[in-house]
Amino acid sequence: MPATQKPMRYGHTEGHTDVCFDDSGSCIVTCGSDGDVRIWEDLDDDDPKSINVGEKAYSCALKNGKLVTAVSNNTVQVHTFPDGVPDGILTRFTTNANHVVFSPDGANVAAGSSDFLIKIVEVMDNSQQKTFRGHDAPVLSLSFDPQNIFLASASCDGSVRVWHISDQTCAMSWPLLQKCSDVVNAKSICRLAWQPKNGKLLAVPVEKSVKLYRRETWNNAFDLSDSFISQTLNIVTWSSCGQYLAAGSINGSIIVWNVETKECMERVKHEKGYSICGLAWHPTCSRICYTDGEGNLGLLENVCGSNEKMSNSKVPSRVEKDYNDLFDGDDASNGGDFLHDNALEIPAFSKGLMHDDEDDDGLMLASGRPRQRSHILEDDENPVDVSMLKTDLLREEEDDPATNTHSLPLAKSQRPLYDGPMPTPRQKAFQSSSTPVHLTHRFMVWNSIGIIRCYNDEQDNAIDVEFHDTSIHHATHLSNTLNYTVATLSHEAILLACQSTDELPSKLHCLHFSSWDSSKEWLVDMPQDEDIEAICLGQGWAAAATSALLLRLFSIGGVQKEVFCLPGPVVSMAGHGEQLLIVYHRGTGFDGDQCLGVQLLELGQKKKQILHGDPLPLTRKSYLTWVGFSAEGTPCYVDSEGCVRMLNRGLGNTWTPICNTREHCKGKSDHYWVVGIHENPQQLRCIPCKGSRFPPTLPRPAVAILSFKLPYCQIATEKGQMEEQFWRSVIFHNYLDYLAKNGYEYEESTKNQAIKEQQELLMKMLALSCKLEREFRCVELADLMTQNAVNLAIKYASRSRKLILAQKLSELAAEKAAELAATQTEEEEEEEDFRKKLNAGRTAAEWSQPRPRGQAEEDAEDGQEADDSEDRPALHKHGQNSSQSTNSSDMPAVKSGAVTSSSQGRVNPFKVLVNSKEPAVSVNSARSANILDSMNKSSRKSTSLNRAANTEKSTVIKPLIPKPKSKQASATSYFQKRTSQTDKTEQVKEENPENTSSETPALCPQNSDNQRPKTGFQMWLEENRSSILSENPDFSDEADIIKEGMIRFRVLSPEERKAWTNKAKGETASDGAEAKKRKHVDESVETEEQKEAAKENLRLPKKTKASGLSTNQKLAAFAFNQE
Amino acid sequence: MDAAEVEFLAEKELVTIIPNFSLDKIYLIGGDLGPFNPGLPVDVPLWLAINLKQRQKCRVVPPEWMDVEKLEKMRDHERKEETFTPVPSPHYMELTKLLLNHASDNIPKADAIRTLIKDLWDTRMAKLRVSADSFVRQQEAHAKLDNLTLMEVNSSGAFLTQALNHMYKLRTNLQPSESAHSQDF
Repeated sequence: MPATQKPMRYGHTEGHTDVCFDDSGSCIVTCGSDGDVRIWEDLDDDDPKSINVGEKAYSCALKNGKLVTAVSNNTVQVHTFPDGVPDGILTRFTTNANHVVFSPDGANVAAGSSDFLIKIVEVMDNSQQKTFRGHDAPVLSLSFDPQNIFLASASCDGSVRVWHISDQTCAMSWPLLQKCSDVVNAKSICRLAWQPKNGKLLAVPVEKSVKLYRRETWNNAFDLSDSFISQTLNIVTWSSCGQYLAAGSINGSIIVWNVETKECMERVKHEKGYSICGLAWHPTCSRICYTDGEGNLGLLENVCGSNEKMSNSKVPSRVEKDYNDLFDGDDASNGGDFLHDNALEIPAFSKGLMHDDEDDDGLMLASGRPRQRSHILEDDENPVDVSMLKTDLLREEEDDPATNTHSLPLAKSQRPLYDGPMPTPRQKAFQSSSTPVHLTHRFMVWNSIGIIRCYNDEQDNAIDVEFHDTSIHHATHLSNTLNYTVATLSHEAILLACQSTDELPSKLHCLHFSSWDSSKEWLVDMPQDEDIEAICLGQGWAAAATSALLLRLFSIGGVQKEVFCLPGPVVSMAGHGEQLLIVYHRGTGFDGDQCLGVQLLELGQKKKQILHGDPLPLTRKSYLTWVGFSAEGTPCYVDSEGCVRMLNRGLGNTWTPICNTREHCKGKSDHYWVVGIHENPQQLRCIPCKGSRFPPTLPRPAVAILSFKLPYCQIATEKGQMEEQFWRSVIFHNYLDYLAKNGYEYEESTKNQAIKEQQELLMKMLALSCKLEREFRCVELADLMTQNAVNLAIKYASRSRKLILAQKLSELAAEKAAELAATQTEEEEEEEDFRKKLNAGRTAAEWSQPRPRGQAEEDAEDGQEADDSEDRPALHKHGQNSSQSTNSSDMPAVKSGAVTSSSQGRVNPFKVLVNSKEPAVSVNSARSANILDSMNKSSRKSTSLNRAANTEKSTVIKPLIPKPKSKQASATSYFQKRTSQTDKTEQVKEENPENTSSETPALCPQNSDNQRPKTGFQMWLEENRSSILSENPDFSDEADIIKEGMIRFRVLSPEERKAWTNKAKGETASDGAEAKKRKHVDESVETEEQKEAAKENLRLPKKTKASGLSTNQKLAAFAFNQE
Repeated sequence: MDAAEVEFLAEKELVTIIPNFSLDKIYLIGGDLGPFNPGLPVDVPLWLAINLKQRQKCRVVPPEWMDVEKLEKMRDHERKEETFTPVPSPHYMELTKLLLNHASDNIPKADAIRTLIKDLWDTRMAKLRVSADSFVRQQEAHAKLDNLTLMEVNSSGAFLTQALNHMYKLRTNLQPSESAHSQDF
């Protein structure tokens, strides 16, 4: 895999630069001719920390929190890192030093100067100096032997020398370079380097190749060169593992070799071809940082990606870095802040350290102090101890260099080196839609209710609360004396919490502005050593998760309620209505993944747990960034990769990805900061953030709306699109079922809209499959349809001359009808059972919430149903045959049930509500107690309408957030509903003008109605209704049609009339109810002519029943028409 | 047409507001507006935006071009070019004036924007005067001016046409007097 070259960026003013990484590799440190040392979090860091070290900085080196720089006032200075506080002068020369390097243990610094001298100085005690004399020209560069025995140097006199550190004698000298008078005239700055770890090889850039010299023998082991190199090499560096060698040339090419195989791994060219004068490998990752002679900084990523060791260690440190960026921008070097426990920190860093301090490490192990490692790690603040310690160790080493060299490889081979997956640091607890705590101006929360901002600067520490809808509450300004860090907001209250301090315990503060009494706030102290980590608000309750793994519930007025244990440290919480969603750490994730669990509880009257700590699916190597509910109450969450997932209650509470915000981003570093999700209309509300993960408070960010898109395959094709739309519609209307189940109020029209939309999509898909000759697929699609749509599908199939398909579909329709009938009876039985158990105060209305009848297949597996479906026709027959309807009492019940369930009647705008209640009432009054059920059903709407005033209202039912708007809307939907019902009944009436109403039992015996469609005339009329209608479009009344039909029928020849009568007689098997249904179907069949009309017809009353017979008849009619 | 009428026309321009109330779609002759969700940006005509702003029912989101940097660039471009350059909005002057008068608290750097728009306007008006001048001097029959906004046309249109009328009269009066004079001889 080739290395990815990030674009160069401005680092310093034009001139010589130098670069290095800090020990953990979390920062890039550069110095330049502007005299500044800059500490970059990353290449994208737009606000690097600058430390001014002098007028000009020639070279810098960093180790153990000490930053050593060679500056233009001829000194070598020390600064602390990362604070940049001057920490004294190490040494002086008569002119400036050109290169400074740390010894591998960090105890000494070597500096080479233009006054021909090289000095080694102890960092802790600058009186301990060793001077190396011998070069006859300015010293260009230096390199410490990792074993601390030798020092290599290059000079303008053309020689490269190796020195014994102990006695400052020259061990070897090669005349390799061109002679010149000064550094500025030198062709190459010849930054040479020893191989890390064992120091077996010394790499020297000479002309266009790198010469490698073997230790001790000092013979030229081999040369590394490449045809890509066209100019002299300036600099070489080893990777920390010692396997790779990178070289930079004066015309900007960077080459990486694998030293063992001598194979060239990477060839990269500087974008402008400037001279590379600084080159540094990341201590753990496979990335190289480089600077050029013009002050620019660049970065290569994924250098030598094949290296397993590197890729292993790359993951945690990168993730860690990302987190640092996100949560604690300032403390990148101090990973401990992010982590909960330091134990996790060690594995994350140890790798880097092992490479860095290989030698040192081995020594420690040998001396029986393995724990020292972690100690070193944590000691960014007090490096003194460490270096002292190291100095001690160094002395030991110097005492006995021989044994050390021998013991080293031994120690290395024995060290248990863990090469497996690395644990991921756990992400910290957060509030959804809040920006990092360390910011002086931050959002504490931005949700659908309002915004809470926190200002924490010198003059002011305050919290601003602003409501989107000023009718909820006016904006407020609070002083933040207790230093609240987490906040949340609902339409009832503001909830704030702060961490414990030395004196004060952690507090939960609630501003209950919707309270009707005068005291609007309460404050609760947590027990000692318990910190609130996450809070949330629901309707009438507040919850706080604490560091003691407890979840504390409070009522909104401040009553302490349940307390329960959390299975793991909380990550975030969200509340909506009665629902509480908790996300926590289930365990430790590996290789950048988080291991989260989720609990969903309902805290209503009937408390129950919906999700029992199930694993929360996240994109690989991502973490949770937002968790909450959609406005309609479906749990959703967003991960750091921008993937939005929503709970699919229709599929056993699984999580479905509904949007990927990254797809909408323009730039790589752009993000969307999610603030809310709405299911109806489908909106993902978020704030676009350019180049960051979260928005600044000023200028005030504007909310953008993204649409949802399910990740379906082949979204470019029509089929894929429709499939995506269909399933999206299904998922985004699951909440209606949920609301219905839990007794919430919702708009009937929304559901109807949804069903219509879904059926339309299915019809389109069916048409498409039909066109593609995919008949099996057609049947599969029809299986998803409602009864009514299936009938249309049959029609479509027969129209497009696919008789087999039509046959199959009609079978399916029959099956569906049977299932539906079974479900209905069962439902009724269930309802009865329920009612028996009911308390007296509870009305039946609440129990007859509408069910999704469209999906009749939902409880198909019940064996009971089959029996029921068989029972039904028998019943009907009975009702038909015995002219008096003693037990046919459940027939109208079924009918009116069907009427209720037909969620959309054909709305006739001219029909007024005058006698709307009449049929229902008349039915019910005449019927036995059984029928009262259906009355309740039809009158349930009125109950729900008046629920606000209804004292008997069930406590189970809590209306959603009381929006006056929604109330109105539901009222209108109620009226629409009623009209449709009425129309439906009236329509039935009109179809049978002779019998005023089939549903008025007093007037109409069941069988007389049943007899009706069997006459030849009736059949003929059914066939020809459309032609009558088309010729007399002004016929709105059924009676007119029949009259006209009569006239026409009489005109027919006697033979024809006879044929019709015979045909009618041939169908005596059909029972009355079915015939009646068939009539409906046929009517709809007749009235629509083309495929476009099919869509129209979806709005027709849902036939909850149809029979195979009617389809057969239709087929017959079709065949007849064909003739 | 006078300036007030032009302003009236400009009030049809859509601007984005963030309402702090909740209201369903409203159906007007000019089209449907809304629905209004608190905290969610919505496009409404300027007249409604100003009305809502005056009643403190919304925050105005400044149009994209109402940004100091963009306007500076535009002004410089306008100054550099001989001809008229395209303006950010056909009613930029009216929009700026109305928004800055009524919603200056929602517009960052309102004063700078006011100055920049004034600069832009002045530059353009100067160009318009120069071109009118050369038009009259050279006694051209017609001229073409691109990228002029309605307000700009109105600012000089009425005067210029009337002035041309007068000049024509004067010129035609001059001619016969000359001929009369010659006839005297």
